[in-house]
Amino acid sequence: MKRADGELLLLWTLPLLGVIWISAFLLFPGFVQPMSPTLSAEQVAAFYRDPENLPRIRYSMILFNWFGVGLIPILALIALQIRRMAHRTPIFSYAIVACAAGGPTIFLMADLFWLLAAFRPERDPQLTLLLNDLAWVTFSSQVGFLIAQNVILALAIHLDRQQRPVFRPWVAHFNLVVAALLIPAAFAGAAMTGPFAWDGVLTFWVRNVAIGLWIAVMGVVLGRAIQRQRSEQQAAA
Amino acid sequence: MSAAPPDSKRELWIGWWTLVVFYNLYGLLFFVITRTQPPPEPSLDPSEVVQWFHDRHYGLLYGYAIVSIVGGATAIMNATLAYSMRRMSVSRAFAYSYLVIYALATLPGMLIMGVACTVGAMRPDRDPALMSWIYDFAFLSFEGTMGVFLIGSLVWMVAVLLDENGVFPKWFGYLNLCNALTEVVVAPAWIFKSGPFAWNGAIAWWINMGVFVTYTVVFLTLLRRMILREDFGTGPLPELAP
Amino acid sequence: MNGRPEVVRFVPGQPDMWAFVLFEGFVFTAYFGVYVFSRARSPDLFLESQAHLDLRIGFFNTLALLASSWSVARCVQAAREGSYRAATTNAFLTMLFGFVFLVSKLREWVVEIEQGFTFTADEFSSFYYFLTGIHFLHLLIGFVALAVAVYQLRSPARRSQEIVETCATYWHTIDFLWVLIFALLYVMR
Repeated sequence: MKRADGELLLLWTLPLLGVIWISAFLLFPGFVQPMSPTLSAEQVAAFYRDPENLPRIRYSMILFNWFGVGLIPILALIALQIRRMAHRTPIFSYAIVACAAGGPTIFLMADLFWLLAAFRPERDPQLTLLLNDLAWVTFSSQVGFLIAQNVILALAIHLDRQQRPVFRPWVAHFNLVVAALLIPAAFAGAAMTGPFAWDGVLTFWVRNVAIGLWIAVMGVVLGRAIQRQRSEQQAAA
Repeated sequence: MSAAPPDSKRELWIGWWTLVVFYNLYGLLFFVITRTQPPPEPSLDPSEVVQWFHDRHYGLLYGYAIVSIVGGATAIMNATLAYSMRRMSVSRAFAYSYLVIYALATLPGMLIMGVACTVGAMRPDRDPALMSWIYDFAFLSFEGTMGVFLIGSLVWMVAVLLDENGVFPKWFGYLNLCNALTEVVVAPAWIFKSGPFAWNGAIAWWINMGVFVTYTVVFLTLLRRMILREDFGTGPLPELAP
Repeated sequence: MNGRPEVVRFVPGQPDMWAFVLFEGFVFTAYFGVYVFSRARSPDLFLESQAHLDLRIGFFNTLALLASSWSVARCVQAAREGSYRAATTNAFLTMLFGFVFLVSKLREWVVEIEQGFTFTADEFSSFYYFLTGIHFLHLLIGFVALAVAVYQLRSPARRSQEIVETCATYWHTIDFLWVLIFALLYVMR
């Protein structure tokens, strides 16, 4: 039964996705030096109208539009690993599937708002400001599904009481730590300056680095779990 | 495995308590902290809309921040409801359909309004015409997104009516129809700016809310009974001992 | 008859359906309440707008549904006596009367809309279209219920008297609701 082969293929899309996402991140002129919420409408309009920025905004956001949902197969793989855990019901894997439906959709919305803002930069600055606000607030503050998938995974691992659990306990703790690091970002809308603002150290840097770290670590952990599953299946065959 | 291990219902209880805690929190966040429910009138003019946001400045910003943190709890909630369909004698397609439909529903049902109200509240000096647009965006996306709840309720209804394992009483299937119909009744909210059919109207909101709250309390109660009765089999769910 | 023990029931059909009927009854009562309240605030406007309704068509529609209630009752009676072919025929007859109502109602709406009497024309018209519209939707669901009844009656393997009665209960309810709507919108002036 070669069930795990396709899974490894899906898993190997992760480093590719990482490269694309990081490239798009660096390409967007408003990320490396995160745009401040305190910019006025004229300043925001100027940002989008600047010929140095505009192509970079558009192409980075197009990249994000193409590959934004790239994490869903990984979430599906996690859901499958949860099915192997010693649970009585499939509730936790169902919950991860639900997170997979919700999370990337939100990111896509933010992406659309940025692309819209960049489509007609000659618009009334107030409109550009609105679209920019919608993009940033959606991107920064909507951490609900990310927190949920971490907490659910941690809970699932904690309840996986068997000889060789699918994931080791530290993975659960790691997930909880990442979830905690995402909480400050929820307050992005409530602060215009400081660490909680959408350009602040907690909401921008801590949040995004935590997400990047989660993707990297879970990718490795998932790979090992799938490899183990493969060798167990081959031994049984 | 003949007897289920003693704590085997733990996952189900986690799901159920998440539902109960979340709905209470939801009520608190929407009715008390952000004060976005009961909804205000669609007929407010831009300057009145600006005033509305001003009056709720901190409630909106911090209330919806909390919504952003806990909003993902719906994943566990919907997983639990999907599980109830999996326990039925019907195809798993019902459980999966419900799960995905309602996962999507979290966006219009809560999160989009959060983004809109946050964006509205964060810049009190924004152009009033745009504030008016944000106001419409918030309330119409919240109350006027009907399809997910309509189809989702119908999926559950059909599952309950066809089920031979007796997971839920048949009248609950019919109650799902009532809930689905509230999504039809709210449609005129996209047309009227005042009166009983506006988004805050006697029919589109108040009576609809009555049905929805009844429905929610009922399914929470029935889910609890289901968990108590659960035997992790695939046949008819045993009745509770009196 | 069919070997199953005679269960003494308090109500015909599933008690579940009666719970639904009761609940929907409450909801519709609430709608009617809002209507009556709104009407009391602007009686002249409502009276003027009501003139757009043709009482004769309303009457005809009511008769069609009353006839359908008669035929569905005969269906239940026939099923109870074991005359399944007669029962099925009556079920189809019910569908026919229901269909007559449907077509007549649609035609009525089309004519009214052409005359400018639309959903958004005035307060009364919005109530009119809302109430008759939501009733129309319930009627469409009624066809599903009748189809279920026919499906049951078709094969000797099924023929659950309870389900047939349940479907009939639903059908009677929509007839009853129509009579109330007719009285409120068409007659009460």
